[in-house]
Amino acid sequence: MKIRFKIRRCDPSSREGCEPYIQAYNVEVSEGMTVLEALIKIADEDDPTLAFRRSCRSAICGSCAMNINGFPKLACNTQVIPEYRKRGEIFIEPLANHTVIRDLIVDLTPFWKKMEKITPYLIPREEGSIRVTKEDEREIDRVQRCIMCASCNSVCSTLEVDRQFIGPSALAKSWRFVGDVREGGSKRRLERLSEEHGLWDCVRCVHCTEFCPKGVEPLRAIERLRCRAMEEGIVDNEGAKHVDAMVDSVRRVGRLDEAAMTFRTLGFLRSLGMIPFGIKMEIHGKMPHPIIFPKIEGIDEVKHIYRAREREKEKKD
Amino acid sequence: MSTLRYAYYPGCASQEITKEANSTTRKVAGILGIELHDMPGANCCGAGLLTDYDRDLYLALNARIFAQAERMKMDIMTICSTCLMVMRSANHELRDRKVLERINRILSEAGLSYSGRVEIKHLLWVLVEDYGLESLRKKVKKPLTWLKIAPFYGCHTLRPSEVLGRDDPQNPSSLESIIKVLGGEVTEYRDKTKCCGFQVDLVSEDTAFEMTGRRLLSAKKNGGDCIVTPCPFCHINLDNYQEFAEKKVSQNIGMPVFHLAQIVGLSLGMSAEDLGLSRHLVSPEGIIR
Repeated sequence: MKIRFKIRRCDPSSREGCEPYIQAYNVEVSEGMTVLEALIKIADEDDPTLAFRRSCRSAICGSCAMNINGFPKLACNTQVIPEYRKRGEIFIEPLANHTVIRDLIVDLTPFWKKMEKITPYLIPREEGSIRVTKEDEREIDRVQRCIMCASCNSVCSTLEVDRQFIGPSALAKSWRFVGDVREGGSKRRLERLSEEHGLWDCVRCVHCTEFCPKGVEPLRAIERLRCRAMEEGIVDNEGAKHVDAMVDSVRRVGRLDEAAMTFRTLGFLRSLGMIPFGIKMEIHGKMPHPIIFPKIEGIDEVKHIYRAREREKEKKD
Repeated sequence: MSTLRYAYYPGCASQEITKEANSTTRKVAGILGIELHDMPGANCCGAGLLTDYDRDLYLALNARIFAQAERMKMDIMTICSTCLMVMRSANHELRDRKVLERINRILSEAGLSYSGRVEIKHLLWVLVEDYGLESLRKKVKKPLTWLKIAPFYGCHTLRPSEVLGRDDPQNPSSLESIIKVLGGEVTEYRDKTKCCGFQVDLVSEDTAFEMTGRRLLSAKKNGGDCIVTPCPFCHINLDNYQEFAEKKVSQNIGMPVFHLAQIVGLSLGMSAEDLGLSRHLVSPEGIIR
């Protein structure tokens, strides 16, 4: 069947500069054909100027990630006909959150710089050899599947507005080392990641996990890094304070005490700055008041659960 | 159709800051004949913050909520997208026998246990699937024909789709189908499945409000008179903090934002007072009839 491919292109060598435009191609598509095969066909038969990255054609090299109908996918791993049936069109764009070099090729320099920043190699413990169990291996199994295609960074909500954010790919890679029992530099890594534009800036939009073509689940890695940072006592930052306030609020009253959480996360001075807006909120009945009495029914059960977990953790240590 | 009954879990936000979502949901359920049974013993699900502290504590506290619903012999209905995602993720993990056994050992210290059989739904899904769009259409007294409504899903009714699974995260349709049944016109825009920024309001407010501003602008530029969201946290950012978002993107927006239950209530003929509209910071009273 013939399917119309709309492709967002740009050509920096043209007189107009890299002003993006949409070009359409009609492609004869056979059953099972992938988007990458269709692009190769366009370049071979129709328009040799169409630029895109590709290499392995089997979802291992991570070269051909691009936006297909609005979301990042590996072109080699996406069949044209099912995608067309689902959405009624095929619209291909370069990955978002990155600068376009030409057509579907984006500049991955920031991606690699972020990766370099997290020291992407093992720093062995000083005590020499260590026995690695199957369970230890499982901890970092998922993040080792990463093929560095940059899909996660391209849909990351925080990166969309803060280009300095370290990003899901580098965070998942960080867990590769922090979660490795042989690693000796975990604490230092976690301290660095807890700084601004680091692991607490993730908004938990779940884009990275949803659109990773290899099931790396970067968000789960971020949660693990956060848990480990808190266990290591790296809590002098707003992200950790926020979590700490929640842990305390649920233990105390069984639910979220918004007033106490704002105060504990921001501290006294920044909370003072909220007063003018607070008055406006109060007028609309929206100002959260500290919860002093209304605990949930059966709060003792909640306390028992907290204590049971604490005992388990003590035993493990 | 037999009466729909749910263990009702409004979530912490809608017991305080977004109370209007809770009170409106109760009234709407009353009109539609959906029974909502309170869970006065239900604890907070952790709102995605307990997962950053201790996974098993998060699972055990969620299992405590599910155990209560199990005793009530009902599935849970929430009106919070984040509660939905957090609870469904926990429930998904608890389907693994080994995990369930481990968590039940913790629960047993509080004299509780959970079998793993409770379902967790959002009001959005209850309306579309359990109650049904045709039944809803029959109840509409005041079709919202004059309103262009921009649906805003946010994150947690859609992702991760592995545990949510109702809507296609790339092309969702449940909110749109409700807007149409209520007689409103759907405003299409690309940002409808993106993030409002709520989770970092207190951690990195520049990031949060920039995100909020972009979503609002996207809805406005595509012709929306107002936004409707199934998530109270999105409502907090889009409505309460709209003035900060406006500053961040250096533009006036003035976009009213409704909770899902409020647009349903509006089409059922409820008054502005019944919908709690005076609680909104961006008044929607100019666009309702």
